[in-house]
Amino acid sequence: MYLVACVVAFPLRRRWAAAHLRRAAALRGVDPPPPTARLDRYLRWLAAHVAIGVPAGLLALFCLGNALVAAVGAPLWRVFPADDPLRLLLDVPVTGWGRALALGVAQLAILAAVAAGVFPVLAALHARVTLAALAPSAAELLAERVAELTRTRADVLDAHGAELRRIERDLHDGTQARLVAIAMRLAVARQALPAAPPEVADLLRQAHEGTEEAMTELRQVIRTIYPPILADQGLAGALRAVAARGGVPADLDVGDLGRVPAAVEAVAYFAVTEALTNVAKHSRASRATVRVRRAGERLLVEVRDDGDGGAREDGGTGLAGIRGRAEALDGRLTVTSPPGGPTLVEVELPCGS
Amino acid sequence: MRVVIAEDNVLLSSGLELLLGTKGCEVVAVATDADAFLAAVDAHRPDVTIVDVRLPPGFRDEGIRAAIEARRRHPDLPVLVLSQYVEQAYATRLLAAAPRGVGYLLKDRVSRVDEFVDALTRVARGGTALDPEVVAQLLTRADPVATLTPREREVLALMAEGHDNDTIAARLVVTGNAVHKHIGNIFTKLGLSPDDGGHRRVRAVLAYLDGQR
Repeated sequence: MYLVACVVAFPLRRRWAAAHLRRAAALRGVDPPPPTARLDRYLRWLAAHVAIGVPAGLLALFCLGNALVAAVGAPLWRVFPADDPLRLLLDVPVTGWGRALALGVAQLAILAAVAAGVFPVLAALHARVTLAALAPSAAELLAERVAELTRTRADVLDAHGAELRRIERDLHDGTQARLVAIAMRLAVARQALPAAPPEVADLLRQAHEGTEEAMTELRQVIRTIYPPILADQGLAGALRAVAARGGVPADLDVGDLGRVPAAVEAVAYFAVTEALTNVAKHSRASRATVRVRRAGERLLVEVRDDGDGGAREDGGTGLAGIRGRAEALDGRLTVTSPPGGPTLVEVELPCGS
Repeated sequence: MRVVIAEDNVLLSSGLELLLGTKGCEVVAVATDADAFLAAVDAHRPDVTIVDVRLPPGFRDEGIRAAIEARRRHPDLPVLVLSQYVEQAYATRLLAAAPRGVGYLLKDRVSRVDEFVDALTRVARGGTALDPEVVAQLLTRADPVATLTPREREVLALMAEGHDNDTIAARLVVTGNAVHKHIGNIFTKLGLSPDDGGHRRVRAVLAYLDGQR
C-alpha cells in the first residue's frame, strides 16, 4: 500500500518531498533546506521512507488499536460471552469489574508510555533520514551557488555595460555639448570685443582656452570609460576601425559573436587596441592578424603578428593593463612570445549568459 | 553663404546660428533628425551643410548616413560633419564616395571661429577639411609615411586638413617654393605620378585612408 502511494505520488515528488522536508526540519528545529533536484536521491529517500515509515506506522496503529480496545472494551466487558471473554494486556481474560478497570487502566498506561518513549525517537530518526536523503549535499549547494553567481554576474555585467554606455552618452551629449556651446559663445564674445580693456580680454581668453582644455580632457576621459565608437558601431565595427588605423597592416576576422555584454565588448576592444599598439611600437612586424570569435560562453580574442617576439608584461607594454581588465571580468590573458617571435596574445572573456 | 544645419541639441544649433551670423552666414534651416535634414536640403539647396554625426533616433552614426544620402541625391552638396569624437573610419566613409566638398571636424573646433569658418568656406568651395586629430591618426601609420621626413609629414598633415600651398607656407613659416618642393617629394614617395590629374592632393590623403587595402 505504501509503495502504491509512492508510485501515485511520483509526479508530485517534489512537493511531497518538500512537505516532508519542512516537517522534518521543523521537528529537528532547523531551517527547511531546498529539496534536491536529483532523481536518484528521491528514490533513495523513498526506500528509507518505506523502511522506517512502515514499521513506525504499524507500531502506531498497534498502539492506537489496543488503546481503543482498552478504552472501549473494558467498560463493556460484560458484553463478551463467558467462554470467550475480553482479553487485555495481550492475553489476560477479564472476568470481573475489578480486573476490567485494573487491566484497562494498565493497558492504556503501558501504551501511553510506549508512545511517549518510542514515537519521538522514531520520528526523530525518520526526520534525520529525510533530511539526509533530500537536503542538497555540500557539493550540490556549491554547484547551485556557482550557477547563481554566474547568473547574477552576467546580470551585473549587462547592467554595468548599460551604465557605461549611458554615462558615455550623457557626457558627450550633455556635458560636452554644453562646453562646446559655452566655448562658442565665449569665442563670439571675444570677437565682438576687439577693443576690450586688457583685463577683460585676458579673462575672456583664459575662459575660452580653459573651456577648450576641458573639452579635450573630457574627450580623453570618455574614451577610457567607454569607447564611443563601440556605442555607435558595435564591436565588429569598432574593431574594423582599430585595424584600419593601426600602425601595421592588420587582417581582421570576426566570427558570429552573438550577444556580448557591453562591458566584455569594451575589454575586447581595449585588448585589441593595446595589442595592436604594441605590434606597431615594439614588434617590428610587417603584418598582424586579429581574430575574434565566440566559443560557447566565452569570447576569444587573438592578436598575432610576425614580429620579433620577446614581449614581456613588465615592460610597460600595456599587457598588464589587458590582464587587469580581463581578470576583472573573470577572463584570462595568455601571451606567447618567444625571442625571435612571433607573438600571440590571446584573451578569453566569459560572456556569462 | 546659406547653411542648413542638422543638429538635435538646441544649445549647439543656436550657438552655431549665433556664430555663423557674426560671420555673415545665413542659417536657412535647422533640422533635428536625418529625414528633416534631407527635406531641408531638397527645399533650400544650401551652399553648405553642417551635420552632427549623432542624430535621433539612435544617436549612433545617423549623421554620416544622412550626409552620404544627401550627397547621393545632390552630388555637389558640400557637407561638413561635426563629431563628438574623432574616428578615422567615419572620415573614410565620407571621403570614399567623392572626396570633394567634404569636411570632418571635432565639435570642439567650432570655438575657433575663424578657423572653423575658414574650414566651412573651404568645404563650400569643394575643398576638404579634415580634423587635425584624424590626420594625426593617419600619420602614426608605419607604411610609406615612415619614409617621409618630419617636414614632409607636417606639410602632408596640413594638406590633409585641406589647406592650400600659401596657407601651408604661412603656417610653417617657409616660402611657397619650399612647400611646392616638399609636396613634390611627398607625391613621389607615395607613388603618385604627375599624370594622375588634378586631384593629387586629395589622392595623397586618400592614399593614407585606403593604404591598408
